[in-house]
Amino acid sequence: MCIECLKLPPLHRHCDLPAKIVIMASEASSSKGEFDIYQTYRKILDDEEMSPPLAAILSLSQLMVESNAGTMFELVKELHDGAEELKRHTTNPISLNAGCELFIAFVTLFPHESDSFAELKTELVKQGQKYAKEAISYRNKIAELMLDFIKDDSVILTHSYSRVVMRALLHAHKTKRISVYVTEARPRGLGVKTHEVLTAVGIPCTVVLDSAVAYVMDKVDFVLVGSEAVVESGGLINAVGSNQMAIIAKAAHKPFYALAESYKFHRLFPLSQYDLPTHNPSILSFPSLPPRPFVTPPTTSGVSPPIAKSGIDESLNVTPTSSSERSMSAEMTAKNPDVDYTRPDLISLVFSDVGILTPEAISQYLVAMFAG
Amino acid sequence: MSADLHGSQRAVETLVSKLRRRQVVGSREAALETVLVLRQVVSKARFSNIDQLISLIRSVGKRLVEAQPKEHSVGNTVRKLLHHIREEYNTAMTGNASSSKTVYSISNFVLQGQPRKQNVAPKSEATLTLKENDPDDPDSFARVLKPVLMEAIQDVLDELETVYDNISKNAKDHIHSDEIILTIGHSKTVETFLKVAAHHRSFTVIVAETGPSYNGHEMARALSSAGISSFLVPDSSIYAIMSRVNKVIIGAHAILANGGMFAITGSLLAANAARVHSTPVVVCAGQFKLTPLWNLYHDFGALDFADPSSVLGFEEGNLVDKVDVLNPYYDYVGPELVDVFITNDGDHPPSSVYRLIKETYDDDDHEL
Repeated sequence: MCIECLKLPPLHRHCDLPAKIVIMASEASSSKGEFDIYQTYRKILDDEEMSPPLAAILSLSQLMVESNAGTMFELVKELHDGAEELKRHTTNPISLNAGCELFIAFVTLFPHESDSFAELKTELVKQGQKYAKEAISYRNKIAELMLDFIKDDSVILTHSYSRVVMRALLHAHKTKRISVYVTEARPRGLGVKTHEVLTAVGIPCTVVLDSAVAYVMDKVDFVLVGSEAVVESGGLINAVGSNQMAIIAKAAHKPFYALAESYKFHRLFPLSQYDLPTHNPSILSFPSLPPRPFVTPPTTSGVSPPIAKSGIDESLNVTPTSSSERSMSAEMTAKNPDVDYTRPDLISLVFSDVGILTPEAISQYLVAMFAG
Repeated sequence: MSADLHGSQRAVETLVSKLRRRQVVGSREAALETVLVLRQVVSKARFSNIDQLISLIRSVGKRLVEAQPKEHSVGNTVRKLLHHIREEYNTAMTGNASSSKTVYSISNFVLQGQPRKQNVAPKSEATLTLKENDPDDPDSFARVLKPVLMEAIQDVLDELETVYDNISKNAKDHIHSDEIILTIGHSKTVETFLKVAAHHRSFTVIVAETGPSYNGHEMARALSSAGISSFLVPDSSIYAIMSRVNKVIIGAHAILANGGMFAITGSLLAANAARVHSTPVVVCAGQFKLTPLWNLYHDFGALDFADPSSVLGFEEGNLVDKVDVLNPYYDYVGPELVDVFITNDGDHPPSSVYRLIKETYDDDDHEL
């Protein structure tokens, strides 16, 4: 990263080569005798611009540096174990998986031209670090591709906070007048962050409730979201709420564009929301209430006593415990998903650094890529 | 030599002004003229390496495209030719030396997913001895490569000349006996397609008259003279008769990368009516209409505008200065409204148009 850029806030940097990352990674490991891949991963992610798949690739490269595997088989096994280890520590391993999968596939398919195994290993490590370095600039490439699709005076709806969407919006702001609606994106509320950043640079931006997406849809020209991962069906995994946004956009005949760097392409074929690796039985589970006392069936006289009415009154008369601030408790929130899956037929186009792709193209791309 | 160079320069300028004055209209005609001019340019060009040649063609291409940006086939032809030239050059070079060693990196690994044409049959034998930037004989490179390039250009030309026949070769598989077909405008491609099908089947064609140009009149005349039972209907009745139509067959002006297309005004009306009745919409178009653009449909002005006098002429003198009269020549028909594209390179759904485009053109030529 050049000196000039270091002084600027992250979003304004024109070059952002993560020079310090490799250093950080080695620091994390050398401080302890035992190499802890998860610590390395966390350290790398401290960088604002780093995304989980790249951090995973860097951590795995670092793992290779530390490893004393003597054969390819051992090395690949260590990488798989490392990836498992990372997965175990995170609640949402989807995008991380995509990075691990890409790197391991690359390692296994890398043609052996080196003289010794040690040499091959250093070559692979070098490749991993080189890729992470150049991949950081992919967002700029995507922002450039997106530019032609944003016409002057566009009103854009986006969801939550995504670095690549921010880059695209800020890039468009240089040459075009745009205004942005952003959803609050509960439970993490990252939409507020988007709002802060955009307002700071002078883009008119309004935060809308997640429940107001349908209300706002008629006012927008298109929807623009980032992604956790793009999957083999051509669908999209992103912060929860993207799916409903895509459904509403489809119903209102508005284009729904997703931005995804190519390292987020993931070989996964979810058929429904509940096929995502993040889904577990506790999500959306019903509380186990104490069994209801047996209620005697009402008499067949037909004259139903005004129980219901009094019931309502009762509930209304309850003193407002926290009527001013009614919000979900932490355990209520815990039963909710972080990400959801958007079907390919709801997505107009996916913008990535390898070009503009239709959802069908994504599936073909993924198949061709991993076919070797 | 300099006189020759002037000759090819003059050919370029002639085509530029013809395009600008709309003396060359229609995507196939524009494509043909472009190939002819480029052939002249290449045959007269002096170059000692591939980059010089490519930048020369690009600059000519840019001039032609700027002369008439709405004839997309001009740019497409230039891109296609560039693609062929690079291909020929690459095969010639690989035979020459093992200079092209692929670099293995993760980003290249990712790029393996990129769609590629599987089997290319290169013209050049791998025995050509190519030497770039030869200081002793700067023309040697051009001398060796030119015959191969001319052959490649001839291929493009042949393809354009046989495009109608190749599109129509499977016509009888798309039309069944006693079907009722609706078409709109006067597309040469569709006309040939229907005529070829008529050799094998008997069917009825309903032609919308396609105001304000009323091209449909010519179409109906052409079809009925070939012995096809045809009806001419006003545009306003397209929706009403759609319930009796088995298939809508229309032409295109340009096919965009997302699978949408520009087609004569009224096509959108017909395609929407077809969608409501679940009637298949079949589009016949040559491969040279594939355009590597996604976003043109954003701009209303991206559609061409024709002479407004056919909508409201000066006979209505007292009205003319009170209203704005627009006569958009093309409709943008989205990919969701088209069922299949029949091209000279096979039949394709709109969703795979992007792949055809990736295979036909090189990514760095999208912007000439």
